Amino acid sequence: MQNVMTGIAQPKPRARILNLKYIIGGLIILGAIAAFALSNFQSNVVYYYTVPELVAQKTRLTGQTIRVNGPLDQSSIDLDQKTMTLKFNIKDNGMVQPVVYKGVVPDTLTNGESVVAEGRLDAAGVFQADSILVKCPSRYESETPKQN
Amino acid sequence: MGTLQIAGLGNLTVWLGFALALYTVGAALVAVQKRRPAMMASAENGIYAVAALTTLAVAIMEWAAITHQFRFEYIASHVSLDQPLLYTISSLWGGQEGSLLFWVWLLSLFAAIVTFQNRDQNRELMPYAIAFMAFTQGFFFLLLIVVAQPFKMLNFTPQDGQGLNPLLQNPGMFIHPITQYLGYVGFTVPFAFAMAALTTGRLSDAWIRTTRRWTLISWLFLSLGLLFGMRWAYVELGWGGYWGWDPVENASLIPWLTGTAYLHSVMIQEKRGMLKVWNLVLVMLTYILSILGTFLTRSGVVQSVHAFGTNSLLASIFLGYMAGVILLFLYLLYTRLGALREENEIDSVVSREATFLLNNLLLVGAAFATLWGTIFPMISELATGKQITVAAPFFNTVNGPIFFLLIVLMGVCTMIGWRRASVDNLVRNFLRPLLVSAVVVGGLFALGVREPLGLTAFGAAGFVSGTIMVEFFRAAGARMRQHGENPPTALAMLFVKNRRRYGGYVVHIGIVMAVVGIAGSTFFQADLQKNVRTGETIAIKQYTLRFDGLASYAEENHQVWAANLTVFENGAQIATLKPEKNYYPASEQSTTEIAVRSTAMEDLYLILAGSNDDGSVTIKAIVNPLISWLWIGFGVFMLGTLIAAWPDPREARVMQRIQMREAAVAAGR
Repeated sequence: MQNVMTGIAQPKPRARILNLKYIIGGLIILGAIAAFALSNFQSNVVYYYTVPELVAQKTRLTGQTIRVNGPLDQSSIDLDQKTMTLKFNIKDNGMVQPVVYKGVVPDTLTNGESVVAEGRLDAAGVFQADSILVKCPSRYESETPKQN
Repeated sequence: MGTLQIAGLGNLTVWLGFALALYTVGAALVAVQKRRPAMMASAENGIYAVAALTTLAVAIMEWAAITHQFRFEYIASHVSLDQPLLYTISSLWGGQEGSLLFWVWLLSLFAAIVTFQNRDQNRELMPYAIAFMAFTQGFFFLLLIVVAQPFKMLNFTPQDGQGLNPLLQNPGMFIHPITQYLGYVGFTVPFAFAMAALTTGRLSDAWIRTTRRWTLISWLFLSLGLLFGMRWAYVELGWGGYWGWDPVENASLIPWLTGTAYLHSVMIQEKRGMLKVWNLVLVMLTYILSILGTFLTRSGVVQSVHAFGTNSLLASIFLGYMAGVILLFLYLLYTRLGALREENEIDSVVSREATFLLNNLLLVGAAFATLWGTIFPMISELATGKQITVAAPFFNTVNGPIFFLLIVLMGVCTMIGWRRASVDNLVRNFLRPLLVSAVVVGGLFALGVREPLGLTAFGAAGFVSGTIMVEFFRAAGARMRQHGENPPTALAMLFVKNRRRYGGYVVHIGIVMAVVGIAGSTFFQADLQKNVRTGETIAIKQYTLRFDGLASYAEENHQVWAANLTVFENGAQIATLKPEKNYYPASEQSTTEIAVRSTAMEDLYLILAGSNDDGSVTIKAIVNPLISWLWIGFGVFMLGTLIAAWPDPREARVMQRIQMREAAVAAGR
């Protein structure tokens, strides 16, 4: 990388590359932001479970905010417009997890292949979803719609 | 020529482009090492030739799309006979192969413009800048050859294609990728000059000033990318919001944050000769994060980490390239540390320099927190096989306070003096803006607003507006006294005399407006979901919605179901809104088309959530207060950026002086 045209006037040598005081100050601020981010990260992580995993750890997971994902059983879809309640099953390896969701149903549900539901498992073993995300056969690499 | 021959020509352009880009890198480096001006001319011609080749490639792709050449695999999966022409054109940037071709085309055009602009100036920097731009082109051509061939042919010709994803069939999605990519691609230019400055050791601020306008315009396009992305989410995804901390959204926000930090910190280098290493690092980060953004959006890893498995070649090329560039940069930086001494030191923590530094740290901190939340779940899954995610709450709790501090700082920065601010200066400057803030908060409290986060955000917005108003009054007042101008002339002259500074304040005004819109729609949203039969009504806040029946009709490439709703505000009829559900047979997909009534005060946003056999429908109604100010703010923001970027004779003179000084130094050696 030696170059014939290097070296223009050097600045006055009195100043250092960067005042140490400010490097330390800057690092403290960045460190504080990082610590703040990390501590929040821990408390906001949501774990994904498959239906067999969920069934196996039922007691421990009941009441926690988690995501359950797996193949959508199309024949189980039951939508009651009056009460705006959607019920369906996630069926994985012969195990069935019933899910209940109230809210705007994703457009992609009817040709959905698999589903991710975020919410809590209730005492009766039904998954009460706050949001659902439907995954379609991957025909497009473009964005999947989001439902809140 | 038959279809296959044309596709062959397309393939040839990609291969030739790759070869020419590599040749250009070599020619430019040889030209400067061996001092051969003829080689340099050849390298410049290489840049122009690549621009011509990629233009031809894009023209072939668009021809194939418009004339429905379904033998092209890309066209068969992104175009259909019945889709509107607009979306047939935009199919070029609707999929992976096409959008990577589009990327390299934009880069080639940028490189050609930069080469032409600098044909008589920056002669020492140009060989390396050209070499680096051609190097980036080479990388994208490699992707087009190895993993994402845009001109791949099927061995039969389908009758019809699958069509562009209906979700992308929206004017916002026509324009969003263009602006986003222009922003991503644009940052290649300042980074190429930074690399040139590092290699040559010409580390004065010539490279920064040369690329200042490129940086501003690229940043503007990144901002527009964010705007159109949010707009698309708001009108097309139909959940009433515009930002969900989705990995794809984050991928466009992260380089914007570091780019914003860079735009601010270069001012310190130009004015005070400080933060030189930091500026180089920031422009490198912005470039790398733009490449990462392209990767995250285009590789599919966002939807599923398993895309790493199915497309590991794409991932390894991208990650390898990024790692290589970072290492090269760090090596060059290390060899030049001696030439990067600061010309001044920060005199006091209470100074404009210090607030700029803090602003930079906060922006970079927000960028890293967002990056962490976006990619850590992917890394974790690759390492442990256990899938995890962090959603909106993480990003909101971490970025919320950082953004709040940034906004307050925006006001502080305007009012604080360079070098060292006295207590007297502080009291005098901050009294009035704080008063504005107090009046805003007090007024809202008196009107019954109690939401603490909302009041905090509006208070901060009031403070910043106060500082900007004081600044404009003071500067215009000074002109009126000195030059005897009337108030409008004095105000206009501020922009004539120092467009960079006052353009910057206009950008800040735009941000304050956007903050008002974001705070209003975040903290004061109301929503309601209800099932109604014909003639029944829904009441939300001061609105009453009467359902007048469901209509069904066919459109160009889809079937529409529209709910007719008559809207009354405090009893008076004000509008008819028709939220729709559309069904696209080609892709067997349905989409939700929302209906919205916007005023400066609030949006009434309606979603047709479902319909029943008995003719009743489910409507979700959302009231989003002040959200229009988010979009208006972006308009003001754009105007400010253009004012700041507008050619300035003063800037040109400074640039000329620097170039003459450098030439004199070079000649005297």
